[in-house]
Amino acid sequence: MILDIINIWFIVKLLFLFALAIYLIFASVVVRQVYLMTETVKVGFEFPVRIIAWVYLFGAISVFLIALFTL
Amino acid sequence: MPEVYTSNKDKNIKQELTPSGEVRHHLPGHTHNPLGAYCFRPDNVTFETQDQGEKIVLFLRQHPIVNLPWIALTILLFFAPAILINFPLLSFLPANFQFIAHLIWYLLVAAYAVESALAWFFNVYIVTDERVVDVDFINLLHREITEAKIDNIQDTHHAVGGVLRTIFNFGDVIIQTAGTAQNIEFERVPNPASVSRVVQELRLEEEQEKIEGRVR
Repeated sequence: MILDIINIWFIVKLLFLFALAIYLIFASVVVRQVYLMTETVKVGFEFPVRIIAWVYLFGAISVFLIALFTL
Repeated sequence: MPEVYTSNKDKNIKQELTPSGEVRHHLPGHTHNPLGAYCFRPDNVTFETQDQGEKIVLFLRQHPIVNLPWIALTILLFFAPAILINFPLLSFLPANFQFIAHLIWYLLVAAYAVESALAWFFNVYIVTDERVVDVDFINLLHREITEAKIDNIQDTHHAVGGVLRTIFNFGDVIIQTAGTAQNIEFERVPNPASVSRVVQELRLEEEQEKIEGRVR
């Protein structure tokens, strides 16, 4: 039966993954915006700021993958 | 056209605002700190729409003390799961879901911290010898850049109010522009009196240049 496969935790898992996917989009926007802003104003601190943005994006990707495999 | 006459006052202003070479490294307010909130005649700062030969006189951000509330809140939110360990809010979830819920919590805290830090870092005010530029990083999806030419400036004034602002000497500088152009407001910048004075002096210099026909 399909109801045996689609239990409540499966739906919760999908919701978690959906939320994390939205977060991934947000993190990508952060990287893009950081690149745009560092082009707009250059103060000699562009590299560390870009690194922070990439670490943030990779953190979001890692959590998404962890959720995908542990839930 | 050769310069026939330059007043002493004009010379002094020009020398003070756009000093050359090593001189500016010893000026008060000059710093090489890329996270500095007040930098007079910065060395390494450029911006996208900067013209050839346009010199940055002041580079400003909001006073670093304005970061205190979000830093304190971030620390509190970071330790919230440990503090709330005796209140098992997620106990109805299986262990693996609880683990992911915690990770999502830390992601949300990171989002808040990153957005607040970037908003402070990219929200800058630039005063050049030709114009004032206000770069507003409102949030991650919205940024706004406002400019006003120095010769469009009609008046500047500053306001310092409140305990924290008085102690740390930061406040707002309001730059009124002519006609329908939008007024520019430098919010919570360090040394607002000195910022206001620099903008006024640049305005005077620009007026003098206009009178003498030296306008670029």
